[in-house]
Amino acid sequence: MSDLTNLVGPLEVGHEMRGEIRRIANNTRARRQFISRVMMVLSLVALSVAAVPLVLLIIVLLRNGIPTLNAAFFTQLPQTPTLVTPNIVGGVSNAIVGSLALNLYASILAIPLGILVGVYLAENETKFATSLRVVAQTMAGAPSILMGLFAFSFLVHDLNLGFTALAGSFALAVLMLPVIVISTEIAVRSVPHTLREAGLALGAKPHKISLKVVLPSALTGIVTGAILAVSRAVGETAPVLLVIGGGFLNEWRPLNPVSALPLTIYENAKSEWPAQRAQVWGVALVLVAFVFVLSLSARIWASRKQQVK
Amino acid sequence: MEQEIMADIQSQATAATSTSSGPAAMQLRNVAVSFNGRTAVRNCTFDVGKNRVTSLIGPSGSGKTTLLRALNRLHDLTPGAKVSGEILLEGVDVYRGDITATELRARVGMVFQRPNPFPTMSIYDNVISGLRFNGIKKKSLLDAAAESSLRSAALWESVENRLKVPASNLSGGEQQRLCIARALAMDPEVLLMDEPTSALDPIATLRIEELMTTLKSRVSVVIVTHNMQQAARISDDCAFLLMGEDRTGELIEFDTTEKIFNNPDDSRTLDYTLGRFG
Repeated sequence: MSDLTNLVGPLEVGHEMRGEIRRIANNTRARRQFISRVMMVLSLVALSVAAVPLVLLIIVLLRNGIPTLNAAFFTQLPQTPTLVTPNIVGGVSNAIVGSLALNLYASILAIPLGILVGVYLAENETKFATSLRVVAQTMAGAPSILMGLFAFSFLVHDLNLGFTALAGSFALAVLMLPVIVISTEIAVRSVPHTLREAGLALGAKPHKISLKVVLPSALTGIVTGAILAVSRAVGETAPVLLVIGGGFLNEWRPLNPVSALPLTIYENAKSEWPAQRAQVWGVALVLVAFVFVLSLSARIWASRKQQVK
Repeated sequence: MEQEIMADIQSQATAATSTSSGPAAMQLRNVAVSFNGRTAVRNCTFDVGKNRVTSLIGPSGSGKTTLLRALNRLHDLTPGAKVSGEILLEGVDVYRGDITATELRARVGMVFQRPNPFPTMSIYDNVISGLRFNGIKKKSLLDAAAESSLRSAALWESVENRLKVPASNLSGGEQQRLCIARALAMDPEVLLMDEPTSALDPIATLRIEELMTTLKSRVSVVIVTHNMQQAARISDDCAFLLMGEDRTGELIEFDTTEKIFNNPDDSRTLDYTLGRFG
């Protein structure tokens, strides 16, 4: 008899307790579902507010940019409008060629050096490496006009080279360098340690392992970082503003003045001729297209499957 | 039931052991490994018999893997790691003698716990990677080494027609045999194996165990294993390590596998092999 009470008593208490637990849990769940719906609505409102300027930007860019694009835009040199021909502005081939040249030379300067430094940082734990990393991270956040100022005072003024594509490339390279260094370091560090050990256990020297095992495994990340660095540099105005001279010819040679797409926007937006101001939208559109293609290719490259040669 | 299993393990141990203790491939004399002044394993003195399989057994934390990695100087790259005592390869002290770490590692190969083929290389490139690292470029040599190593690792038949596909396409067991082939391509004198079957299913494990028994005709094997049956099945000699009161692993007993599993000198060895702890 007493056994039965002992058995039943706690069970009933347990039943009541379970009922209460379920009630509280249900109330809590209902409250949270309500909060969740409210937050969802707020998030959607915030998203639409944030999307408005972005969508407007793209619409304005396309609507103003597309009408100015034609064959002459890409192939002709710029012409200054006159009172007789206020609508003849020519093309911006000089800026397209200049931007390509600037970024090509900047890439040649920055990519190999950045990869080497990044690999060094990933594989060395010395004090020197640590301070180098701090420098790279600080440089990544430095204002880009600073690079332009540095290139101006050092190359244009002190070395007396004049306004050149090289000076602009130098400024852009300094801007790209920390991006490449940091992304390379991350890519190399993410290669599993077991692969390095496998190489060591086969009697390979550390530099052989870096070259033949670690770098190929990290290649995807390194290339992605380099493309993103270039896409950042393409759109930069400040570093080239002071140093490239804004040439009016299609110029590839590194020691001559060149123009660039962002510089053209900066100059022509201030023009007194409406046709020149209108053309700026076309230049901006081409620039955005450049950046878009670059970051798209970085994404495609990053998501591709591991390839074996 | 437990006794039946034990009797089974003991009879396997008896069958596996070949009693003659011949020349040594490697000799350990009072070897200890410490990290930043804290000793992880000490007191290790035994011989790795030539053309024999030596197993290192003991519970987690007893220093088996730490000891194994001292044998090919893999601790060299760990800051603060120090190996004391003597490890002799053909009479030459591998830490202080006239031998570089890279030469040592070319002569003492290693297979790791998890298969670690190079993911950016094909099967073929993986097998001959050690040779390429060491400057061998002649195609005929590389081709011959690739085929013979893959045959030795019992992998040739299944990969013969897809040597150029990525190594990551292989199954886990195949990848591990590829790693064995990669180590064998260097024609090492000693092969270190760190729990090589712990990440594999029973069938893949069995194939690798079979492989080890055939391999010992050309290479001396040192294997770390948590699996008592595995140690009993495949090893000729057995080193039992245990973590002491001060959390430092040390060698308790070294003998033929038969003796370790049937009538060890130390009662702790018996307790461990009987499964009373660990």
